[in-house]
Amino acid sequence: MALLQIAEPGQSPQPHQRRLAVGIDLGTTNSLVAALRSGRSEPLPDVQGNVILPSAVRYLEGAIDVGQAAREAAPSDPLNTILSVKRLMGRGLADVKQLGEQLPYRFVGGESHMPFIDTVQGPKSPVEVSADILKVLRQRAEETLGGDLVGAVITVPAYFDDAQRQATKDAAKLAGLNVLRLLNEPTAAAVAYGLDQNAEGLVAIFDLGGGTFDISILRLTAGVFEVLATGGDTALGGDDFDHAIAGWIIEQAGLSADLDPATQRLLLQTACAAKEALTDADVVSVRHGAWQGELSRSAFEAMIEPMIARSLKACRRAVRDSGVEMEEVAAVVMVGGSTRVPRVREAVGTLFGRTPLTSIDPDQVVAIGAAIQADTLAGNRREGGELLLLDVIPLSLGLETMGGLMEKVIPRNTTIPVARAQEFTTYKDGQSAMMIHVLQGERELISDCRSLARFELRGIPAMVAGAAKIRVTFQVDADGLLSVAARELGSGVESSIQVKPSYGLTDGEIARMLKDSFEHAGTDKQARQLREHQVDGERLLEAVQGALDADGERLLSAEEREAIAFQMQQLRDLLAGTDGPAIEQQTKRLSQVTDAFAARRLDSTVKAALAGRNLNEIEE
Amino acid sequence: MGTPCHFALFDLQPGFRLDLDKLAVRYRELAREVHPDRFADTSEREQRIALENSAALNDAYQTLRSAPRRARYLLAISGHEVPQEVTVHDPDFLLQQMELREELEELADLDAVGVFKKRLKAAQDTLNDDFAACWNDPAQREQAERLMRRMQFLDKLAQEVRQLEERLDD
Repeated sequence: MALLQIAEPGQSPQPHQRRLAVGIDLGTTNSLVAALRSGRSEPLPDVQGNVILPSAVRYLEGAIDVGQAAREAAPSDPLNTILSVKRLMGRGLADVKQLGEQLPYRFVGGESHMPFIDTVQGPKSPVEVSADILKVLRQRAEETLGGDLVGAVITVPAYFDDAQRQATKDAAKLAGLNVLRLLNEPTAAAVAYGLDQNAEGLVAIFDLGGGTFDISILRLTAGVFEVLATGGDTALGGDDFDHAIAGWIIEQAGLSADLDPATQRLLLQTACAAKEALTDADVVSVRHGAWQGELSRSAFEAMIEPMIARSLKACRRAVRDSGVEMEEVAAVVMVGGSTRVPRVREAVGTLFGRTPLTSIDPDQVVAIGAAIQADTLAGNRREGGELLLLDVIPLSLGLETMGGLMEKVIPRNTTIPVARAQEFTTYKDGQSAMMIHVLQGERELISDCRSLARFELRGIPAMVAGAAKIRVTFQVDADGLLSVAARELGSGVESSIQVKPSYGLTDGEIARMLKDSFEHAGTDKQARQLREHQVDGERLLEAVQGALDADGERLLSAEEREAIAFQMQQLRDLLAGTDGPAIEQQTKRLSQVTDAFAARRLDSTVKAALAGRNLNEIEE
Repeated sequence: MGTPCHFALFDLQPGFRLDLDKLAVRYRELAREVHPDRFADTSEREQRIALENSAALNDAYQTLRSAPRRARYLLAISGHEVPQEVTVHDPDFLLQQMELREELEELADLDAVGVFKKRLKAAQDTLNDDFAACWNDPAQREQAERLMRRMQFLDKLAQEVRQLEERLDD
């Protein structure tokens, strides 16, 4: 489609056709998809009118249930029903056990260190389970918006490490989504809030979801959202409140702590219902089997106090890291369903000395913000000026040095994108290889940090110890993803990797999953291809028409115009039908007959530009 | 970016005294131009260039924003590259450093840390004033370098204070 080339980068080639892009909040408990519709960002409902999709996936023989039905089936089919899968993303089996809770699944090993969950459909990785949730949201969006998506912005907790981010991106790829950006959840919320309230100045976003906690401090200045610092805990959320209540029931009812999966699920459901009821009630009655008891709000608050204390500590650290004073923070915005717990609001309000804001639905605010960013990234012009989001890395990145210590290369809260190099040397005479061990975390001992990757720089020429100069370069992109390169400066020997986290999927696993998902989607695929051809054809028609309107008279002879008009009509006729291959062919044909026209347009643009005029003047 | 000088990038004259607010405003303007978000729907090559430009801009901004890094950079661009690791001959300052460090270790609560931080800030301000007065004078080059190293020491000490605050907050 040569005609599309005349456009400024970042600008849509067809100004009157918005390119479809969505924001997806892939949450621990609930997921949402939002998009800009008639200038407003709003969550998209399913056919029943629900905007929230419970993040629950149930695997059945030959079918997959996602959403409310799956969540309800959890107690009766605990082994095949996966809830809160986000807590397993980018984690090893050992990490999962450290979450300190009983998970009612059967874990099996895979090629990588990632834990796979055994289901009736075979072993499923957390990435595949997440992809199944994303597929439902993608389909909902395409049906509601009536077209294929250019891409999606997927939100992640700001405190997600590299492995967790990579896993999320893999899941989106597996769901057939083009990831425009991984966006930090509190930053997305800040966008929604900032635009809604026309806010300026320092804002704190307190985001307590089902499984993760983030705190971000941002400075809002004329459409620029600058994250000054972020902090949090990727294993702290409403699920932990549920587990605390479940523990209390076990104790009160004198149950054995070693419960079967079905009972565990039922207990957690009961606990969650009690927690939600305590938002309004001072005391609730709780029933489990033959046992019945009463839980007061104050008793519940005592249970969760240590978790709230942890979140407040992270807030104080983030404020210190921002280099601002607590009093300078002008607004505190509450995000995430768990901020409905009255004690959470009270504690945050006391810490910041002001009433937290809850004007936008805490369950929806992240998706709403993500959709705004997605729309901009897809190349659609924004009314009221461009947005700019400047985010940071949540955890320091570094390398293992002598003695098992971590040497920081990029400190936490550094603005991304960032590239930084550090030089190292050999410590033995004639040393020909060097192990590069990439780590993430704040502690000094490497055993306390997260190991992201190891790779070896080989072929270093023989030199005395200390003579070789090895430069290791870290680069973090706008998604917060890291790549590392190492180079011996004397010889130019080089080695680099896109960091594939130790707990990520291997390339083989991703290839297999992609193949599987294509096979499952046989007929689906045909329909999709037809739609793709239709979209391509429609786009070309529109582009050609635009070009004709602008330059047709000036650059084409009457015969040429007629030939193009004929091919356009042919394509229009085919577009009314369902013959995908024919549409594809005719699209190509139209593209060919307009090639010379496109070249002439480009030529005249270049000439005009050389004559000192700019592109905008020409298009006008 | 390819710009030889960070100061020129921000439309500023090389100097130690900087209007940090003005710097921030200019940074945001430039970030709008080069940030990868503006190039999300372009070719891979353009995206890579945006990533590199944006990383270079961020680095320039961080360098100018921090007093010790700005001081080191000023010395470097005026043809006086200072090696990272050398033995420092500044006995008076080293002694003062040791005392400050000992004091830091004795701090038992956040209030005491607050008082210490105020003193540290005052010491940093004095150093900044001294450096601003002499960095541009070739005759005082050695003194400027010594002051820059002192700034780095105090910066490191400030980081340790932050770590201590975190420990005390447990």
